[in-house]
Amino acid sequence: MNTAFNNLVIYNGYPLSVVVAVAFHSFILAFLIWVQSSSNIDSLELVQPTIIKALFIDENPQVRNERILERQRLERVEQQRIAREEEQQRQQEEADRQAALERQQAEAEAERERQALLEREELERQRQLELERRLEREQRELEEQRQRDLAEAERRRQIEEAERQRQQAAAEAAAAEAARTEFELVQSATAIIQMAVQQVWNRPPSARNGMRVILQIRMLPTGELLDARITESSGDPAFDRSAENAAYSAAPFTELQSLPINVFNANFRTLSLIFQPEDLLN
Amino acid sequence: MNDGISLIELILNASPAVQIVMLILFFLSIASWVIIVQRWLVLSSARKGVFSFEQRFWSGMDLSQLYKEGSQMQQDNMQIVGMENIFRAGFKEFMRLRQQGAVDGEAIMEGAQRAMRVAYSREEEKLEKHLAFLATVGSVSPYVGLFGTVIGIMNSFLGLATQAQATLQVVAPGIAEALFATGMGLFAAIPAVVAFNRYSALLDMVTSSYITFSDEFSSILHRQVHST
Repeated sequence: MNTAFNNLVIYNGYPLSVVVAVAFHSFILAFLIWVQSSSNIDSLELVQPTIIKALFIDENPQVRNERILERQRLERVEQQRIAREEEQQRQQEEADRQAALERQQAEAEAERERQALLEREELERQRQLELERRLEREQRELEEQRQRDLAEAERRRQIEEAERQRQQAAAEAAAAEAARTEFELVQSATAIIQMAVQQVWNRPPSARNGMRVILQIRMLPTGELLDARITESSGDPAFDRSAENAAYSAAPFTELQSLPINVFNANFRTLSLIFQPEDLLN
Repeated sequence: MNDGISLIELILNASPAVQIVMLILFFLSIASWVIIVQRWLVLSSARKGVFSFEQRFWSGMDLSQLYKEGSQMQQDNMQIVGMENIFRAGFKEFMRLRQQGAVDGEAIMEGAQRAMRVAYSREEEKLEKHLAFLATVGSVSPYVGLFGTVIGIMNSFLGLATQAQATLQVVAPGIAEALFATGMGLFAAIPAVVAFNRYSALLDMVTSSYITFSDEFSSILHRQVHST
């Protein structure tokens, strides 16, 4: 036993006990916290899919044809220019040759001749320069014209596109509105018919819960009843007849006159009414 | 517990009453472990002392020699524990009565036995000191933890009453903190109960060996008194 341990054990071992107990508890606390923190590591991570926007660009065939024609025309112009230059060169060579010939023929006249030649050359050069400049200008103009045409076409296309979208949106909104109002109209008219028929329906004493008659009625736009036909009988002739009578005595349904004709045609030309005595006790 | 609440947060966000209960339980646990370790040191040294002293006692050594060795140890500032104390008390009284010239052998025996009984009860008292504390911690701290749990659950349900929509997220932290209080109570109680049972058995063993020794020793003294 060394002295440090001895010091801990004296006084009945209380110092050692306190040290051991506190160490034990702090160890357990540290362990719990470590377990907690290590179990927290694996958390969910959401991976957002990358969205690629696809654009479809259609090419106007007319514009494409124009472009091809333009290119062909430019090539033709270029060929012409080259031919002209060759011609000029040939002429100049001819002139040079003549000048040399004259120089050989008349040396005395040479000075005057040379002067004239120089003048001619100068003129020729200016002419050539002018020709080149003209060609260049022509080409530039052509190019500008082409650009303008393209821009114009693009602008027209955009305007058309916007117009088309706007019209489509308007048409959709109108259709939605119409559908909504039509649905409401049908609902209210159906409710009116149901109420009218219900008020005049006299159920026979033989009516029982669970009986069901489906009556198909045909109507005119004026609300008059054309005919009523039983499509599904309840099995009790008296009950069937009472339903039929109710439909006939409730007609005409004058409220239908106020409906737009297309709504009427779509919904009320033929209408099925279901008669069911739900409120009876037996 | 894969998200959000960690243990520390759970304890720090608990209601004050539950926090107090947790604090009490934590200190009870520390105190009970102090007692466990200290009693273990004392009782195991007492058991070792019983064995070593019995060996010395029955080695045929002269009793007065044994007594003198003990006095020497006391002078060297070494503690004399357990069985040796009983022996020294009985032997000292025996020698003193004889030197005073008491003729009645029974009186000498009675005096020696009385001195040994006193020494024995002192030793027993030393050994079983604080064991009652372990028993108390073992039986009470589950109840303290349960008290904390009840208060915690009560609080979380009171909180639930004010909510329009009762979701599990509202009550779950409160119930978790409440259950943690019970857990702490059990954590303090289990070692205390185990240690108390173990130490009680050890104490029984040591004290019964003390009693046996004092009987044996008094029989030796008895022989000495009546042989002269």
